[in-house]
Amino acid sequence: MTETLFIGLSLSSILLLIALGLSITYGAMGVINMAHGELVMIGAYTGVLSGIYLNLNLLFALPLAFMVSALLGLALERLVIRRLYGRIIDTLLATWGVAIVLQQLIRLEFGLSFFGIHVDGLGPGLQSMDVPSFLTQPFEIAGVPIQTYRSFIILVTLLLTLLTWFLMYRTSMGVQVRAIMRNPQIAAACGIDVRRVSAFTFAYGSGLAGVAGVLLAGFKTVMPEMGASTVVDGFLVVVVGGVGSLLGTVLASAMLGQINGVFAILTNDILARAIVFGVVIAIILWRPRGLFSFRSR
Amino acid sequence: MLSLSNVDSFYGRSQALHDMTVAAPEGAILGILGRNGVGKTTLLRTILGLTDRSEGQITLGDKPIARLATHERARAGIAYVPQGRMIIPDFSIRENILMGGFAAGGTRRIPDIVPELFPYLIENLDRPGGVLSGGQQQQLAIARALACKPRVLLMDEPTEGIQPNIVAQIEDIIIRLNSEFGLTILLVEQNVHFVRRAAKAFAMIEHGTAVESGAIETLTDEMVNKHMAI
Repeated sequence: MTETLFIGLSLSSILLLIALGLSITYGAMGVINMAHGELVMIGAYTGVLSGIYLNLNLLFALPLAFMVSALLGLALERLVIRRLYGRIIDTLLATWGVAIVLQQLIRLEFGLSFFGIHVDGLGPGLQSMDVPSFLTQPFEIAGVPIQTYRSFIILVTLLLTLLTWFLMYRTSMGVQVRAIMRNPQIAAACGIDVRRVSAFTFAYGSGLAGVAGVLLAGFKTVMPEMGASTVVDGFLVVVVGGVGSLLGTVLASAMLGQINGVFAILTNDILARAIVFGVVIAIILWRPRGLFSFRSR
Repeated sequence: MLSLSNVDSFYGRSQALHDMTVAAPEGAILGILGRNGVGKTTLLRTILGLTDRSEGQITLGDKPIARLATHERARAGIAYVPQGRMIIPDFSIRENILMGGFAAGGTRRIPDIVPELFPYLIENLDRPGGVLSGGQQQQLAIARALACKPRVLLMDEPTEGIQPNIVAQIEDIIIRLNSEFGLTILLVEQNVHFVRRAAKAFAMIEHGTAVESGAIETLTDEMVNKHMAI
């Protein structure tokens, strides 16, 4: 059971990284970014390709993927989203379109055939990326076997969550981001450059998605469609936790990740998924603005 | 100091200001009067660039500001005390005040004028803004605007919804901000008595345009009855 909870915790951690970015960008900018999952996927490909072409291991791939996804997110904000602020349906459709374009570009450029690899039944994906050997040796705590890579995922998530908390609550930029989340017009009237701060926020949230992608690539097959399902789970966390709430996002990802992990092992994946959706619906009915929400927008 | 010349302003396709021309003299309070819904708040929001679109000239001193973004207008020296205060309830009093500092070069220092005018706020800097009473929240909104180190203060019905014994305090503070600290103030008010006491000039708004304006001494009861009586 302890091992199951530990696996659930590591899944929750990746979910948290994905949801943090979504929560911040939706909270600060009111943008439902349907391409967020593709930024996860881009991070995963960055990890794999940096290993193949640059011989970088996972530790170096993490910051590289953060930068690649952050720059891509910045470009997305500058070129598409900036022109559609305040038009929530338009941003949703536009980012959905961007998601499809990114998926197809990756499929065209980096399908397995690109590498001359043809594996029957595997589809157009890559195998998961190489994980350094020191992260693959399991260890034991009180007789319970613990997978080192899963621990690494939790550690990276913990560090990035603390960094996010520090940025949001202990820096001038964080005050500006939170002010924009609460009231963008008053923030602007107080001299805050809403567009510049929003661009930074979007890039940071995108960067977190990229890191989540690399961590996923350590144990999942990397393929163009891998982001689509993660973004749905990310939105579930945002809805349950409360938009823009760091604490809510952390608790909701832990709760939903654990429910999914535990019930998947006790029953099966499909039933576990149904139970997660049931819990989400119950929470929305009980608290429509999420577990930890503030008045905004 | 601050002047609007032939300004039109829009929310979507709906035009809210028509050919608006008003000027706030330097170091004076300009009282903006009119019934509800005639465009007084829109006038202030237009000055800050908070409507969807506007046309015409807006100048601060000699500087045209109509093409500037809202945060640039704030940094140029325009601060806003909005209707309903709009403080951020879960921010501490300190954070609420320091929000204004971003218009003054991002300073993290509360200006000296704030403890002088609002000692209660300074004694409770770490409390959330949301626990304050209406009058205290109004003080906080004014303190936030002062942290912008403004040349011009836009105040939208600052005594609205505040218990009567606090209203007089707020009124006195507004008069002090002008007389002691030399701030130019555009004051949207329904309270004609207070406007007569505080302002040097007035503009009467109707249907999104200034139909009467001039020195406060020229504001007659007839004008008030004609343009403000329900």
